[in-house]
Amino acid sequence: MYHLLSGFYKYLFQLDEYYVLILGLDNAGKSTYLEAAKTHFTKNYKALNPNKITSTVGLNIGVIETDGCSLNFWDLGGQEELQSLWDKYYAESHAVIYVVDAFARDRIEESKAVFDKMIASELLKGIPLLVLANKQDLQDSMGVREVKPIFNQNAHLIGQRDCMVMPISALNGDGVDEGIKWLVQCIKRNSVVRPPRNQSDN
Amino acid sequence: MGGLLSYFRSLIGSREMRILILGLDGAGKTTILYRLQVGEVVTTIPTIGFNVEQVTYKNLKFQVWDLGGQTSIRPYWRCYYSNTDAIIYVVDSVDKDRIGISKQELVSMLEEEELKGAILAVLANKQDMDGAMSVAEVHQALGLDLLRNRTFQIFKTSAIKGEGLDQAMDWLSNALQSRK
Repeated sequence: MYHLLSGFYKYLFQLDEYYVLILGLDNAGKSTYLEAAKTHFTKNYKALNPNKITSTVGLNIGVIETDGCSLNFWDLGGQEELQSLWDKYYAESHAVIYVVDAFARDRIEESKAVFDKMIASELLKGIPLLVLANKQDLQDSMGVREVKPIFNQNAHLIGQRDCMVMPISALNGDGVDEGIKWLVQCIKRNSVVRPPRNQSDN
Repeated sequence: MGGLLSYFRSLIGSREMRILILGLDGAGKTTILYRLQVGEVVTTIPTIGFNVEQVTYKNLKFQVWDLGGQTSIRPYWRCYYSNTDAIIYVVDSVDKDRIGISKQELVSMLEEEELKGAILAVLANKQDMDGAMSVAEVHQALGLDLLRNRTFQIFKTSAIKGEGLDQAMDWLSNALQSRK
């Protein structure tokens, strides 16, 4: 009887747990984006002052609840020597958010190369990808029209998975909501292949 | 009345943050503590027991506990875990032989329920010496990729030269302030 009731309770109230990786080159704005996402989806969240966010060498975590899901973020360091640590998280991730510094034209090729290397991993096969052209608040940064063709060059690597390029400004929060909403839909659709953490445990 | 008092207190300065400095013996914990407190290198002897000091960094007050790191006294670390806001874990970046032991201590410490909410700053210390491990090497050697539910950050430091400690304290104070 207890199991029946607790099972019913869980069915009604337990949120599906998904894990989302935030990747990209150093200084792309990953940690700032995470703070923006937390601010948008958490009531009374006291965000870090963006000026005080330093380059990450380690891990920042965050949880937001939206649309019946709890999204757990892993924001990793983007420096070159730290990129080798990314793949440790691939097998457990339900989606990847790849942040691109749309203002740094001189690093766009580097960013693209790192992106290609990431999506070539077998462990991320079929996982939804959200590419964010960040820093739209700066004049003269590349728009989606410019960024999209660069990241869509290797369509064979992207394959069947959902992939979307969106413009955002992590600094003032523009586009953060839309991105997360899109991602949640994709994660849910893909949950047949990669079920939420709490269900795969049972 | 109490609420009013605590409101005024929150305007003046918040509650002291409790920070533990842990790591194997000889990693440089005590040197770091006094570097933070008095800004100088003091001559230290191996700590048997603990040192505790109040450190003020940019108007934030920290109560910093430096616990002895020798094998025989490591089991007593757990007595100090409750109400800890942050852990500073110090690693001797040159001591590759014992990094495995350091990893084990770190892993078993982080499994403790009482430290579940504490954030972690790993200091890859002794970067002034030749052959010091890089950040990525320390990350791998300590098995930090197994941490999934804890915010952490690694810093290259040299307690003797005073390098890297400010960055670590900056990060800690920001992360702790936003967490409240």
